[in-house]
Amino acid sequence: MALLTPSGAAPGPIPAAAGIGLRFQHHRAVIETRPDIAWFEVHIENYMGGGKPLEQLETIRRDYALSLHGVGLSLGSADGLDADHLERVRRLTLRFQPGLVSEHLSWSVSAGQYLADLLPLPLTEEALDVVCDNVERVQERLKRWILVENPSSYLRFRHSTIPEWEFLAAVAARTGCGILCDVNNIFVSASNHGWDASRYLAALPAGAVGEIHLAGHSLRDLGQGRTIRIDDHGSPVIPAVWRLYREALAHFGALPTLIEWDTDVPPLDTLTDEAQKAEAILDAFRVPQVHARAS
Amino acid sequence: MPALRELQRRFARGMWSPSESGTIEAWIEGDAIAEADRLSIYRNTMTGVITNAMRLTYPVVERLVGAKFFAGAVGIFMAANLPRSAYLNAYGADFAAFLAGFTPAASLPYLPDVAALEWAVAGAAAADDAPALDARDLAGFDPIALEALRLIPHPSLRLVRLTTPADTIWRILTAGDEAELAGITLATEPFTVILHRRTEGIALRRLSELECAVTEPILQGRPLGEALMAGGGIDAVALLAEHLASGRFTRTA
Repeated sequence: MALLTPSGAAPGPIPAAAGIGLRFQHHRAVIETRPDIAWFEVHIENYMGGGKPLEQLETIRRDYALSLHGVGLSLGSADGLDADHLERVRRLTLRFQPGLVSEHLSWSVSAGQYLADLLPLPLTEEALDVVCDNVERVQERLKRWILVENPSSYLRFRHSTIPEWEFLAAVAARTGCGILCDVNNIFVSASNHGWDASRYLAALPAGAVGEIHLAGHSLRDLGQGRTIRIDDHGSPVIPAVWRLYREALAHFGALPTLIEWDTDVPPLDTLTDEAQKAEAILDAFRVPQVHARAS
Repeated sequence: MPALRELQRRFARGMWSPSESGTIEAWIEGDAIAEADRLSIYRNTMTGVITNAMRLTYPVVERLVGAKFFAGAVGIFMAANLPRSAYLNAYGADFAAFLAGFTPAASLPYLPDVAALEWAVAGAAAADDAPALDARDLAGFDPIALEALRLIPHPSLRLVRLTTPADTIWRILTAGDEAELAGITLATEPFTVILHRRTEGIALRRLSELECAVTEPILQGRPLGEALMAGGGIDAVALLAEHLASGRFTRTA
């Protein structure tokens, strides 16, 4: 199996620094210009074939720390996980030995149909059991812990009984998984549902948060003064989300922080500029190196 | 209160068919923004993601019919061919067959062939990697052992049977020179294209009927001696040498 061959010299853990979500259109620029970026994250589903994308990622992997981010495992499926998909994720995880592996608190598969979006869960005890079972199965199969990300959402179910922040904390506590705190998603969902974004952040268990995501979103006008925020990853991070990011760092300390941009992907320079903004904020929260003297 | 499995079944139905979203809407918290509008945000993302995946697999079909027509055709196709996996590279296998029966596209008789070719190209591009077998690997075999040998095609190797010059259309549009399309003669005898992935990209070549008669048994794992006899008058050994030099076969691990 070609896919089981591990990469060569591979930088290991993801540093508490700013990284970029790597998309195909920037592979060549990264390989040719070796930009000064601390780490990259890719969508696992984009590398599930062979050929050029995989080969280029191998090359990039030799010089950069890498995180694998999934959108297709459907951790919230009551039917359980798609064994074939989990196997593809396992093989890529073995091959690339990523510093982090993450997925979403959402579902996208029912009765064998893939619904191609991160769909919202009713936040109930039943759903909590389902998510925890699925996260445990992934962690057993991959033989490593994963991070679970809070999604952006546009609707809530009437029978939800658990606030999303408590749900996420419970998944982490019960399965030992970490939390990927998407600050933009908190802002979007809080705005769409009338939650208090600061309270959401403060309620997450600091020790469990292993990574932060930042992205742009858009404000859609539905007429008659009604608006909804759409997490489309197609623009720069807005000032209010940068402010919330500072709050997150104050709670959690400096953490690996990813800039995501998926719609109308701009030149790599635009992304490195965004990453530098995050880097400048991270600097203020990095614990100064203390050189203890042996007494 | 619905069980999660029931909720997900109903939600899926409502995603594909807005007229069936009543049940799920009753479970959604509503306010100034109607439940149906909230649901349609997810529906739009879903159809957008799937359409985009199809666009990546069928770029030449899209150029031939235009973005709007393409999105419309894909919308009808996806409702009848729901994705079964989050690995969307593997989605859209039946698009050529769908286009063959799609009346609004009937004025473009070559469209199903172009789709069939693009499906093969996309499959080749995403196929697993494997080391190529070359002529030197066969150097140690004596003639009798060589005749009994069965070769393994490279995972990216595909044969596509075409009845229109879809390969020429594909080449022209992939190179971006649409003006050349005007010079194409559509009438042609059915023929076969062999394609596979090389370092520099996807390599396509037409096979004559006799070349096909030699190549097909090799691909089916028949002994080389038997396959090489099937070519009638052609230089089957030279064809085999070309197959090997192009990297169309792979070494066993």
